[in-house]
Amino acid sequence: MAEIKHDLKEQVRELIYNTCIHLDDHQWEHWHDNCADNFNYAIRAFSPEVQADIKYHGGDKEYMQSITSMLSKHNSDQSPLRRHCTVYRVDVAADGKSAAAISSLAVYQTQLDGINSHVDAGTTSIFLVGRYNDKFIIDGDSIKFEDREVRLDTRRLDKGTHWPI
Amino acid sequence: MSSRNHDQWNATPDLQQGEWVDSKIYSDEEIFEDELKKIWSKTWIPVCHESELKEAYSFRTMTIAREPVIVVRGKDMVVRAFLNVCPHRGNMIERRPSGNYKRGTPSGTPKTMTCMFHAWSFDMKGKCVNISRKAEGYQDRLNESQVGLRELKCEVYFGGFVWVSLNDDIGITVEEFAAGSLDVLAPSLNEEPLEVFHYHKAIIPCNYKLWHDTNCEFYHDYLHYHNRITGFNEAYFARKNSGFDGGHINVGSFEVQYDNYEGSHSREELSFPHLPPNHWYMIDMFPGVNFNLRGSALRCDLMTPLGPNSVMIEFRGLGLASDSKKDRQTRIDHHNSIWGPFGRNLHEDLLAVTGQGSSMHPMAESRKILHGRHENETIHDENGMRHYYEEWGKLLNRSPSNPDETFKPYPAFKEQEAQRAAAAGK
Ligand code: FES
Ligand SMILES: [Fe+2]
Repeated sequence: MAEIKHDLKEQVRELIYNTCIHLDDHQWEHWHDNCADNFNYAIRAFSPEVQADIKYHGGDKEYMQSITSMLSKHNSDQSPLRRHCTVYRVDVAADGKSAAAISSLAVYQTQLDGINSHVDAGTTSIFLVGRYNDKFIIDGDSIKFEDREVRLDTRRLDKGTHWPI
Repeated sequence: MSSRNHDQWNATPDLQQGEWVDSKIYSDEEIFEDELKKIWSKTWIPVCHESELKEAYSFRTMTIAREPVIVVRGKDMVVRAFLNVCPHRGNMIERRPSGNYKRGTPSGTPKTMTCMFHAWSFDMKGKCVNISRKAEGYQDRLNESQVGLRELKCEVYFGGFVWVSLNDDIGITVEEFAAGSLDVLAPSLNEEPLEVFHYHKAIIPCNYKLWHDTNCEFYHDYLHYHNRITGFNEAYFARKNSGFDGGHINVGSFEVQYDNYEGSHSREELSFPHLPPNHWYMIDMFPGVNFNLRGSALRCDLMTPLGPNSVMIEFRGLGLASDSKKDRQTRIDHHNSIWGPFGRNLHEDLLAVTGQGSSMHPMAESRKILHGRHENETIHDENGMRHYYEEWGKLLNRSPSNPDETFKPYPAFKEQEAQRAAAAGK
């Protein structure tokens, strides 16, 4: 049993890391495929200005699918976002049917077309820092995201982005 | 003529006064200082919403025209504003964005604003209540009554927004200042208490007026897929822009077709009081305030100009204080799907003004910026910007199209057209 749990932990870690690659590379379909039908996504931050927890973005799987499918219709900053993620903790439930993970997250932005590309393109800065708080459903060999909360420390996002984090 | 050489590029456009401005107004250091002195220090500025100061002794800090400001709610529940500056050696008294003085601070007793430096403290009415070791140092030469805080004019008005003015001699109320521009939304905002559910800020390398212009003109629908797909019908193009005294404008409403955008739905069920379902009104107040009510959620942009090419914009979303948890969440989703930092429209607007800031930075050659569309004062008319710059010109006594010259009042458009026809005839 302990070994099975260890194995599941490793698989959860792998899924989180692979998802970073999918999101970095805009492989949205791969991301959606790895989310359960009842998946929920939210980007949140606590605002000390108004003393409230604030949901910046998010919705269910269908909503996130429509968000990514509509991207080409919108004018967006195309400066790539690159995630640096470290999985700090994975907890697998005793029955092996669910898991939760906490990961530390930094997202770097390398300017392309967001300001004056002649001058700024190629410049990298930190776009945001925060955590992924993830929940998973495990069914035999399949592990899927059931919930992802992107918990932001960064609250100055300036121009913002159209892309899920 | 197709493309133009330098002289042609810089020539005065063949348009009437007010139909273009010189980009220097968006980049010049001296003009910026003039604006802080003659506009931002002189007028009413909304700084936050009363729901951010729910309890007695709560406070919020902010900046107006580079002056640090603190707003506090007293024991008597009255909201007052002060310069956030200690009368002793000029330290900023409160460093936090918000909080409550019921609890003491490391240097101070509960229920006082205490400067951490030498522990002078003040009550919620700005009265100094303690000078540390006063008798030893000042003997009887200085006492508390001489070192109160600098109080600022403050009003809670229009759905609970807190307005502050640095100008003791302003002589008009917020209502008088608004000159009727808030009336269109007053019934919706004043019916029951509102509450802030969203706050985020952006610092953008552009002049503050470029953001205000973007809020005042809808011709930039071409930037927003969302606006085109949910608007762009006869009723949309009939939306009126109307001007009010003081440079304020209203953008009239129509019924947004939310269902036309994939993943978005009617907001009818959560309409603000007295607002027809899915309607969308906007108020742009001089010199840089925006109230934007789209069906179920109110957005408010407050700007803090930081330099000729830098502005901080604070974005707030508001719902009804009486909202159930579920309704509140729906309002938040409605608001942030368009206007959050990851929303469809806000990112596009911010990209565009960043591009303007890049081309109109302080060292750039000045350019002619066209505000010349006339379409019967409907949605793609640029009369909103023209109306704003007429007030701006008057207050600074500078011509917006030639800011080194003094201001001459804009003749009405019809008169300008007549002049133009007469000139063409001779
Ligand atoms: S500077 Fe505030 S107490 Fe001295
Ligand atoms: Fe816009």
